[in-house]
Amino acid sequence: MAKTAELLPGTLDMLILKAVSLKPLHGYGVLLRIRQISRDALEIPQGSLYPALYRLEHHDLIAAEWGQSENNRRAKYYTLTAAGRRRLRDETAGWNRLASAIAVALSTTSEEV
Amino acid sequence: MLKRFRSLFRVLTRRREFEDGMTEELSFHIEQYTDDLVRSGMSREEAARVTRRELGSPINIKADCRQAFGIHLLDELRRQLSYAIRLLRKSPGFTATALLTIAVCFGANLTIFAVIDSVLLRPLPFPEPGRLTTIFNTYPKAGVERDGSSLTNYYERRGNVPAFTSLAIYRYGTEIVGEPGSTERDQTMRVSPDFFSTLGLGPVIGRSFTEEETTSETDHVAILSDTFWRQRYNADSNVIGKQIRVNSVPRTVIGVLPPAFRFLSSDAQLFLPLASRPEDRTPSQRHAGGNVIQMIARLQPGATLAQAQSEIDAQNASLEADDPQAKMIADAGFRSLVVPLHADHVVAIRLTLLLLQAGAMALLLIGAVNLVNLLLVRASGRVKELAVRQALGAGRGYVVSEVVVETTLLTLVGGLLGLVIGAGGIHLLGMLGVDRLPLGSRIAFDGRLALVALLAAIIMGIVFAVPIAWFNLRRHLGNALQSESRSGTSGRATQFLRHSFIVSQIALAFMLLAGAGLLGLSLQRAMAVSPGFQSDHVLTGHILLPWADYPDGPSRLAFAEKLMDKVGPLPGVLYAGVVNNVPFSGKTGKSAATVLGHILRPSESARGHYSYGVGGDYFHAMGFSLRSGRFLTADDSAGSTRVCVVDEDFARYYWPNASAIGGRLWDGSEVGKDNEAFTVVGVVGGVKQAGLTEDYAQGAIYYPYVFRIEDSFFVAVHTTLPPESLGLALQRVVRQIDPDIPVNDLRSMETRIADSLVARRSPALLAGLFSGIALLLTAIGTYGVLSYAVAQRRREIGLRMALGAQPGHIRGQFLYLFLRLLAGGVLLGVIGAWLTSQAMQAVLFHVPPFNLAILTSALCIIALVSLAACLLPSSRAARISPMDALAEE
Repeated sequence: MAKTAELLPGTLDMLILKAVSLKPLHGYGVLLRIRQISRDALEIPQGSLYPALYRLEHHDLIAAEWGQSENNRRAKYYTLTAAGRRRLRDETAGWNRLASAIAVALSTTSEEV
Repeated sequence: MLKRFRSLFRVLTRRREFEDGMTEELSFHIEQYTDDLVRSGMSREEAARVTRRELGSPINIKADCRQAFGIHLLDELRRQLSYAIRLLRKSPGFTATALLTIAVCFGANLTIFAVIDSVLLRPLPFPEPGRLTTIFNTYPKAGVERDGSSLTNYYERRGNVPAFTSLAIYRYGTEIVGEPGSTERDQTMRVSPDFFSTLGLGPVIGRSFTEEETTSETDHVAILSDTFWRQRYNADSNVIGKQIRVNSVPRTVIGVLPPAFRFLSSDAQLFLPLASRPEDRTPSQRHAGGNVIQMIARLQPGATLAQAQSEIDAQNASLEADDPQAKMIADAGFRSLVVPLHADHVVAIRLTLLLLQAGAMALLLIGAVNLVNLLLVRASGRVKELAVRQALGAGRGYVVSEVVVETTLLTLVGGLLGLVIGAGGIHLLGMLGVDRLPLGSRIAFDGRLALVALLAAIIMGIVFAVPIAWFNLRRHLGNALQSESRSGTSGRATQFLRHSFIVSQIALAFMLLAGAGLLGLSLQRAMAVSPGFQSDHVLTGHILLPWADYPDGPSRLAFAEKLMDKVGPLPGVLYAGVVNNVPFSGKTGKSAATVLGHILRPSESARGHYSYGVGGDYFHAMGFSLRSGRFLTADDSAGSTRVCVVDEDFARYYWPNASAIGGRLWDGSEVGKDNEAFTVVGVVGGVKQAGLTEDYAQGAIYYPYVFRIEDSFFVAVHTTLPPESLGLALQRVVRQIDPDIPVNDLRSMETRIADSLVARRSPALLAGLFSGIALLLTAIGTYGVLSYAVAQRRREIGLRMALGAQPGHIRGQFLYLFLRLLAGGVLLGVIGAWLTSQAMQAVLFHVPPFNLAILTSALCIIALVSLAACLLPSSRAARISPMDALAEE
């Protein structure tokens, strides 16, 4: 198994929003999709996945609807709402700023000080 | 925020679905994951184990999910609610007392608030009602506080006062409406063309009156109220242009008002143009108001009352400059006052209502104090239980919310019962005749009131929770747990709190009692005032002769004489008379008279007097007492000798040191021709025209009917029978003379007087009721606190008695405690009563605000009642058996 990284606090919501933005997914699908798009580098704590989904739904960032799964089981599918799309864009931009700032900071060599 | 509430609400309404969905979603996840693990080569058991480990407990996940939706709070609330219900059901005595206390206090407040809301708070039903004003002439130095406005005022002011967008006049009246044989008397209003536009609400069908319709030749038009239109015309939309017979003259319907149209307290069904002749509008008629015509005006947006007042003052000043009577008018203190329409209409009852609300609030406060006391007693009984629960991890927030839930539950249920009581109270007020007060017919029990009640109940619940939560949190856990007593000890602070509750209760009840006493005494004194005549066995009724059939004096006089001839022989009738305005009719117009030889002193101004035209045996019918000379007789009323009778107030004022008999006077404000003077032939007892509490001795003149014939007059009949029983016979007689004419406002004189006291009787009754409840609550409170004190000190008392203390000593100790509390309460109460009586002064009649008799009786009543409440617990203390008390626990 590949080496996995712990999630930073607050990043789970962002990843869920990203996952359902690509295609409507059920809860388990979200888990798989995050693993897939992070190339198995991120380990999602399964216990916190559902509370996070419910929180996002309650805040109207994602919407839920019951549908049929690939193997014909009833499953709850999540889609991104307009508010969720906005939130994802903002968080992505924020994350990129933070990441590049930290990257710059960490790549500083002694000559540059 | 709103969205979140909506999503929470959605979940709450489909709670099962939410729970099932959660379970299904999780089991789907578990199944899928396990399958995937099996597919990757794991054994099924191993896979199930891994899934369980990685996912964690489904119960915890579900709890987290619920929390994400905020449902956990509501679940918690539900749990606390059922806990509170369980606790309350466990002590039915406490619960019943608490609920009843809240219900009664709440109901009393709601009842009064319903009146305040409809009379004082709810705006008049017109657009921007705050800009509506009324303007009236006042001549305070002539004893005429209110004289309405004259036609001349209207025509001079209209368009000439920049602070007003528009200005209108109106007069109330009654007219005979309908076809011959089926006529009815209806309330009407005669209004100027700009009346509806000034109010901002006019006919919804048809049109308003025009300027051309203000002469008596052209005013044959009418506007209907919505009720009239629905009842008489069956809401016919083609009513415009139809004919309606008013006072025997056909008029054309030109408009229908909207259902919401209601001018102040008027019940007018029909609106007619206020027609007048050019000579009625001349400067000489400027001060001929007589309180018949009233003026309203709408302020310009942004204009102030003060601005309007100064413009009116300036106009009056410039108009009076060339008035031949200018000096007399100025001496009378003449001014035209601009006041807000709504406030002016309710000014007479505003203070009474506010005082009653304050009384109801005091009642609520007493009840609240009782309740908090009871709750504190309960809380101290549960100190240990609470300490254990806190030790086991119940947080402070939890402890507080538990209390809030319990008290709010109590106040909500009590408030609901209070709504029922309030509805009953409003019904009771209706029976007391409150709907006859200004705007009184608007009083209703509605959603607005219920909403106010709901909010108040919630606020009250939270307020009640504060001291209890403080009490619960303040204790140190360790102390309570170690304390050997089952119920824990009561700290000094709580004891002080409890005692000050009793003191404030006694003080408040004392204030209420004293206030009610003042109102009651005031009512009693008002009722004891003699109206100037014998009010028993007199029936009076109002008759209005239609102008078309009775256009002049002789025809009207003939009608009155025919009526006297027919009424006199009726069985049971002793005397019958007519008068153009009977006392207590509600009409209080005054007019001037000039007495021969009377020279105005420098500071004196001409006075307004009640002037009556009387016919038949009016003085005997009303039972006036003759002071000197003789009454006017039937011969006088039809004859042409100029004689008159004055009342003793008039006689005393103009002939202070001599007999009034033989004195001469003129009807009007000027000395007239010699042959027009009236000679005084008799002096009768002073009359109260406006009401028993009318203090200013106005003086009255009675002219023979022939000199004061009006189209509207009253008939007064003195009978040996119960007066009301004569009503039908009187009506029959009038119909015999003219089938078109109904008798209106048939009331005995006693009823008229009783009706005139409604604004005093209802408040006195309510205040009495309030103080009765207050006494009961105070008794309950005193009893509760003292019994608790006894129960708490049981062991101590037992010990002392074992060491030789006498029962009488123990009893005395509790009585002493009670007396200290009583003294404190009464002391505060006297101060409070003094303050309230200052505020009440304006509504009191001939009662000094600081009345020792009332204060003493209030003191006695409160001392007796609370002493009775304290005797039981203190004698219980004296009967404590030392053995039992010490053996307990």
